Amino acid sequence: MQFLRTLLACLLILAPLPAFGYDILVLQSLRETGYDESVKGVKRECSATMRTVVLSDHAETDVTRIIREEHPRLVIAVGDRALEVAQKQRSAPVLYMMALHARPRQKGSVTGVGMLFDPARYLSVFDSLGSKKVGVLGDPLKNGAYLKKAQAQAKRSGIELVVREVHSPRDTLAMLDSLRGKVDALWMLPDSTAVSPETTEAYFLLSQGERVPLVSFAEVYLSMGGAVTLGIDRFDIGRQLGIMAQSVLNGTPAEEIPAQSPRRSVLKVNERVLRQLKISIAGGG
Amino acid sequence: MIRRLRKIRVAKNFRFRLYLLFTATIALLTAAFASFYLITEVNAFRSTLEREGRLLATVLAQNARLPLFAENREALDLLAASTARYPSVLFVSISNAEGVALTEVKSPRYPGAGAIDMTVEITSPGLVPSPEAVLLGRAPAQEKRVIGRVQLRLDTSGAKERLKKLVAATLALGTLFWIVVSLLSYQILKRVTSSFNLLMRGIEEIGSGNLSARVNLDSDDELGRGANAINAMAASLELRELENLSLQEELLHSMKLEVQEEKKRVMARLIHTNKMTSLGLLLSSMAHEINNPNASIRFSGHIIAKIWSDVVPLLDGVWREEGEFYLGGLPFQQARGALAENAARIVENSDRIARVVQGLREYGVGGGARLRPDLQINVAVEAALFVLACQMQQEVWLKTALGSDIPVITGDQHQIEQVLINLILNAMQSFPEGRGEVLLSTRHDRAASEVVIEVEDGGAGISAETMERLFEPFFSTKLDRGGSGLGLYISQYIVAEHGGRLQLTSTPGKGTRAWVTLPVGGAPL
Repeated sequence: MQFLRTLLACLLILAPLPAFGYDILVLQSLRETGYDESVKGVKRECSATMRTVVLSDHAETDVTRIIREEHPRLVIAVGDRALEVAQKQRSAPVLYMMALHARPRQKGSVTGVGMLFDPARYLSVFDSLGSKKVGVLGDPLKNGAYLKKAQAQAKRSGIELVVREVHSPRDTLAMLDSLRGKVDALWMLPDSTAVSPETTEAYFLLSQGERVPLVSFAEVYLSMGGAVTLGIDRFDIGRQLGIMAQSVLNGTPAEEIPAQSPRRSVLKVNERVLRQLKISIAGGG
Repeated sequence: MIRRLRKIRVAKNFRFRLYLLFTATIALLTAAFASFYLITEVNAFRSTLEREGRLLATVLAQNARLPLFAENREALDLLAASTARYPSVLFVSISNAEGVALTEVKSPRYPGAGAIDMTVEITSPGLVPSPEAVLLGRAPAQEKRVIGRVQLRLDTSGAKERLKKLVAATLALGTLFWIVVSLLSYQILKRVTSSFNLLMRGIEEIGSGNLSARVNLDSDDELGRGANAINAMAASLELRELENLSLQEELLHSMKLEVQEEKKRVMARLIHTNKMTSLGLLLSSMAHEINNPNASIRFSGHIIAKIWSDVVPLLDGVWREEGEFYLGGLPFQQARGALAENAARIVENSDRIARVVQGLREYGVGGGARLRPDLQINVAVEAALFVLACQMQQEVWLKTALGSDIPVITGDQHQIEQVLINLILNAMQSFPEGRGEVLLSTRHDRAASEVVIEVEDGGAGISAETMERLFEPFFSTKLDRGGSGLGLYISQYIVAEHGGRLQLTSTPGKGTRAWVTLPVGGAPL
């Protein structure tokens, strides 16, 4: 019995040793089903060896030391916190995904797949709804660039994007109130300042009160009164990043790979709300 | 005093007690129901008020959630003011999570007579997740975060007013109900207990002794059946009483007759006893009158015999000298014997007269028992036969068979003689035609060491009824022929006193056998 215990202890001590030879260090912010789905997508497209470190499992993780000692060829950061931790080292390129507020500090060696679709997709939805004035709220610190890009694209599409900047969740209600009578559609961005549990209801109240459709980013909002949602596919984001990772491992410098938006979107429509608003989507569901 | 008695009588009245019980029960039930109704109504009103207040507060909390989050005081003021317009609301306050009141609205009636304070938390919607959580597919959290509080104060003065009105209405209705039900119950009780009173009156009248009274209750219920039963009982009692009266009369009549008969019997016995006493006196006097001349006769006989004995030698010398001569018409030699014989006969018969007289005297006068240890039964038998010699009838033969070896016994000869005389007389009088044979025998029963005297006749015998009463005093079938009814009674007594037994067996038409057994040693008397 004593012998078996000793053998088991030796095996446990020696177990990390084979990890020294892996290619990708996957840094995961926390154990989350959504993150797991994305990682599965990565593994589907990239056959490289990986070591996964879940940050929430450790009080403090010295990623720089791990990378220095274990020499992974690539770091994949899953989630905002993982991206923040991964950017502390510069020896290995970083690919990120599932990071809602991804703002790479150093250009070039940090790239990945964001959470926001290209504005053109949303604009096409508004176009199909027949909306010409679309109100949207966003934190300039988090999504200022995206909103500018969206405004530019909207102008080209003949849609007026009425943007209200919010710097705190408390501003949301007033900004939403300022949109009354000025827009014929609402766009709910996945912006944690503009959309919080306390203020989410206000979007739907405004949508209901002004009888304008609300386009949001997740199916769950359909049940709360949303008209259309353009949702992400977490597994496909993983696959998209897996292709990028494989490309980096194949020798493509990370600096040459631009950050991408999710390539696949899931469109869901609440027919009842649209019927109430007497709106139909051009070209079918 | 009369009033007090009337009160006591009323208090003990069954109808009054029932009525009292009914009215008290109805009053209690009415009070209980009224109290229950009041409490229920007040609680319901209060509950409704609370529910209304909670609903108001909840609605206000729901509406105030967004303005509170945005700290929009104007919007909160409007919401609070609109809530405070409800008549039952005295005070509205909306405060944030730190407890700082952002708006407060007071009604003109504030603070009011009574109030219910109600606080409802304002929470952020728990089912609404953050955008990041939504993108990650995280399930919405169920916990709600408190971001503020709505406080309402509700006016309960309306409840008090309502309670006053309710109490007044309930009291009025309850009293009216009690009065109506009491009157109804009185009428019902009066109707129900009228039968009971009829029954009670009938029972009291029957109980007072008037058994001909009846309970006139015509119903088929329990009281009716009870009345019928009491009537039947009274009729039965009345019948029994009549029977008793009749029996009493018969008894009195019988007793009177019996007393008269008994009186007659007693008088007859008294007369008989008087006769016997007179007879005893007569016998005594006769004995005295007979004894005097008899003593003279016996003396004369002795003198004659003595003189003759002196004269005979002289007369013998004369005869020898002178030859035959006659005395009293008889030759001397014949007269010589006859005179001596007659003189002896005079003395002997005089003695016999003396004995007879003595016997009669002793029989009549009587006397205490004079026991003799050497009583010879045969001597007693002969003495009895001697006494009865004059009673002997020509047609009745008395045969005697006296034992020769009979031992002496201890006893009173005269009493034994009396027993024998009674038995022999009964036997001699048993022949209906006055003709027959009586056998008197004595013997010694060695086995039992007893002396037995038997008197047997072939007479008419004794019937079974007479046999049962044979030894009763003053019972006789010959009262009309001078019987006293005491013969066998006394005889049995005497024999028993001597330690013996007197027994009789008889066959009607064939005869009777009586036997006396006396112990040889005798019994102490």
